[in-house]
Amino acid sequence: MSWQAVLMAMLPEHLLLGGIVALLALEIASVRARGAFTLALFATTAAAIAALWLHATGYTAAPFPDHYVVTPAASLAKFVLLALAVPVILLSRDDFSDSRYFALLLSSLYGACLLTSSASFQTLFLGLEIMSLPVYALVLLGFQRPESAEAALKYLVLGGTATATFLLGASFLYGASGTLSIAAFAAALGATDPIATTGAALVVAALFLKAAVVPLHAWAPDAYETASVPVTGYMATVVKAAVLLTALRLFGSAPVVQPVTALVAILPLASMVWGNLAAIRQLSFRRMIAYSSIAHAGYLYFAFLGAGAGRYQAIMFYLAAYGVMTLLAFTALPSGADDAAHDRLQSFEGLFHRRPYAALAIALAMLSLAGLPPLPGFIAKFLIFRNVLAAGHTMLAVLGLVASYLGLYFYLRVIQFMFMQGAAPGAVEDGSRRLAWVAGAVCLIPAIVIAIVPGWLLDRL
Amino acid sequence: MSDATLLNAVLWLPIAGVLGIALLPRGSDAGTRALSFAVVAAQLALTAWLFVRFDGAVPGLQFETRIPWIHAWGVEYRIGLDGFNVLLVALTTFLGPLVVAGTVTAVRRDVELFHAMLLLIQFAMLGALLAQDLFLFYVFWEAMLIPMFLIIGIWGGERRIYATLKFVLYTAFGSILMLAALIYLVYSLPRTGGPPSFAFEDLYRSTLPAGVQNWLFAAFALSFAIKVPIVPLHTWLPDAHVEAPTAGSVILAGVLLKMGTYGFMKLGIPLFPVAARYFTPAIMALAVISILYGACLALVQTDIKKIIAYSSISHLGYVMLGLVSASLLGIQGAIIQMVSHGLVAGGLFLMVGMVYERCHTRELSDYGGLARLLPVYSVFFMILTLASVGLPTTSGFTGEFMVLMGAFDAAWPQFQHGHVAPLVLSASAVLGVVLGAWYMLWFAQRFLFGAAHAPHQPLADLGRRERLILAAIVVAVFAIGLYPQPLLRKTELAARQYQEFLLGDRTAEARP
Repeated sequence: MSWQAVLMAMLPEHLLLGGIVALLALEIASVRARGAFTLALFATTAAAIAALWLHATGYTAAPFPDHYVVTPAASLAKFVLLALAVPVILLSRDDFSDSRYFALLLSSLYGACLLTSSASFQTLFLGLEIMSLPVYALVLLGFQRPESAEAALKYLVLGGTATATFLLGASFLYGASGTLSIAAFAAALGATDPIATTGAALVVAALFLKAAVVPLHAWAPDAYETASVPVTGYMATVVKAAVLLTALRLFGSAPVVQPVTALVAILPLASMVWGNLAAIRQLSFRRMIAYSSIAHAGYLYFAFLGAGAGRYQAIMFYLAAYGVMTLLAFTALPSGADDAAHDRLQSFEGLFHRRPYAALAIALAMLSLAGLPPLPGFIAKFLIFRNVLAAGHTMLAVLGLVASYLGLYFYLRVIQFMFMQGAAPGAVEDGSRRLAWVAGAVCLIPAIVIAIVPGWLLDRL
Repeated sequence: MSDATLLNAVLWLPIAGVLGIALLPRGSDAGTRALSFAVVAAQLALTAWLFVRFDGAVPGLQFETRIPWIHAWGVEYRIGLDGFNVLLVALTTFLGPLVVAGTVTAVRRDVELFHAMLLLIQFAMLGALLAQDLFLFYVFWEAMLIPMFLIIGIWGGERRIYATLKFVLYTAFGSILMLAALIYLVYSLPRTGGPPSFAFEDLYRSTLPAGVQNWLFAAFALSFAIKVPIVPLHTWLPDAHVEAPTAGSVILAGVLLKMGTYGFMKLGIPLFPVAARYFTPAIMALAVISILYGACLALVQTDIKKIIAYSSISHLGYVMLGLVSASLLGIQGAIIQMVSHGLVAGGLFLMVGMVYERCHTRELSDYGGLARLLPVYSVFFMILTLASVGLPTTSGFTGEFMVLMGAFDAAWPQFQHGHVAPLVLSASAVLGVVLGAWYMLWFAQRFLFGAAHAPHQPLADLGRRERLILAAIVVAVFAIGLYPQPLLRKTELAARQYQEFLLGDRTAEARP
């Protein structure tokens, strides 16, 4: 493979890498300016455009055969991840001004991009770790609350467990098939060899942990609550999406058979039920979103019950719809010095009268996450459950839909606080982030497009 | 412009209105009201034109628009008027201006958001009525929830949050099962290559085995029955009605409840005829229970809004009874009863709102002798009460009488074959008329007559705006009562088509 091809195929990654190097140079030169923000925004946007371009031109290459491949689907996945990172960076401007933060964020994105193109367990492992390690630091970086340290440690330990489980699973698969290509995973799904099946189950368990599926979800509420707003947004959307895209790469379009079916049916179902029920009791917005994201991880993994092209379509659409709507809510969140006070759901009371546009944006996001039409979340939910039904799992689909109904209440409760109640006495003053409206527009415009013409996106998946 | 374009204009005008409200400067309440009224009035004018142009002798859809929406799934944006929805579309657009005009003095808080929500629910209701594609229908059906959630929750009474959450959680539970059934239905149909079809007319042709039909029908019926509501799924209704602001109550009683009966007529029964026949006795029994139970509960209420809320349950029981009677008379009666109830209950809720604005209480015992204090008000109230009771020459009589005639019509041959139950049920439904006269007249007696006392005297009688609103309703009530022929002609073909669905191959089944 010639170096030009390597340059071309990995263009999004190279742009990110360029950004990281420049950011580190800034850090060493200790230039304290807005330069870091602009640089990160520029590098990420350029990488996203490059990924979209590779997708649009149908670029296919294998710069490192059997390890790293570029396909239009992989480029599209990269584009989704990088595009979701853009509003995150816009939101970060007020909370983080140093280049360390952006260097870590871009490194994590680099890992996420690597994941979507990986063809062997080595690359997959590299991607997973490059993506995860900076996030442990990011949770801690704002250090707005003493609990951040505890949450970051919890996340680190459980993330490490996931890594170990993943490696163990990969080694089992290697033992059974003699290859480290990710095709071994799909083959193991249909195998009767207990070693192969165990390997597949272990890998799935690791991915469950990374995406916070019950009962491997305990790290998420703490990490989401105590990290700063942009970092939580990043974890809830980009990291979750990257893990799901990894699962998508592993599973491909192969049908799942027992006992893996039980694994991707029961735990995600438990995730939906528990995530939605536990969210009802939360007093903090980000903690509630953490439980909501646990439930959404459940819906996403449910899509694996259905095989074929529908699975890819459902997951990609869901990730896009879920990502933009979750980030839309985050862009509208109030900002201020006392992070914990601003995060309390109680501080949302009467928000409509103080900041009507923010309240409307959060309301739209909540309704979409609840899966109500005509918002994009509905079409995403429809796709998932259509797939599950088409695969013949009628009972599971009905149970999943009922579980999604359980989630309606806590989303509506946020709207109730914002619209139907007056502000509590002694409510905290809230302002918005300076670039929030830009970030909001970046999320809202695609959301409107996929709500009105979902067919346009579906035809491209 | 073609008539199809006009029908699209009727549907989409509210969205234009919402965008207009968003563009108005903040705090321009008068502008918001004027803009909203202009939108709903334009809708009414266009609908009146289309209503006249609608030809009852032509089967199938008229003024149809058909554009692919989600190509990959075979989902279309497909709307049109037919005998099923034409009257309800007319009713919806007729009530629109009355609701907007009726809130001028009632809503003073967050006026922009309120009118935006009114327009959005108008959009969603019309969309659900006009949709001829199951996916599109479901989108509109669910979209009705959120505006009503906010209308009750923001501008409602003391226990508004409880009431509105109860309303949403009840209705959404039905919808979620309907969604499962919808997906199952569409993707279980045999396909000849290409994407599946969500069009009603294609789905009507489905022939699923009886066992599957029963499950799917149960899911659809549950969703519709909650909306109607049929006893025992009715408990959300009194709370929602009592706590809702006047406009919310009028929309609920006027149109939203009819969505349930419309759903049975347009979807539930035609899509799953075998299951519908299987469940007919059960639905009939529940309809009669709704009639009687609703009436009994209305009898003992002390809150004037609750009396009308429970009377709605009773009146919609007649609609359900007519719909499953399988006689043409009963089906047409059910359609008339839907319109009549929309006008009468809508009008009564408006009137309760008017007196509430003056006295700020809904306790019946606080009132008495309004006939002397508010003479004009009392005349209108008495007319609507009598229409609700079903006095001949009012629309209430036409609807209930036709339903009961139809029910007997259908029950008698069955009685001759030894089936007693339908006849007993039909006879019990007649008892509902007696109970209806009892609770409504007793209510009117305590409310309007007797010793003259009301809180916050002296009271101003109805102003010109209020008189015009009520006069419009009263004229419509008498028009339908005296000369229902035009309405019957426009819906007859649809009623026949529906009857065929319900009877289906009953003759074929009877054959050896």
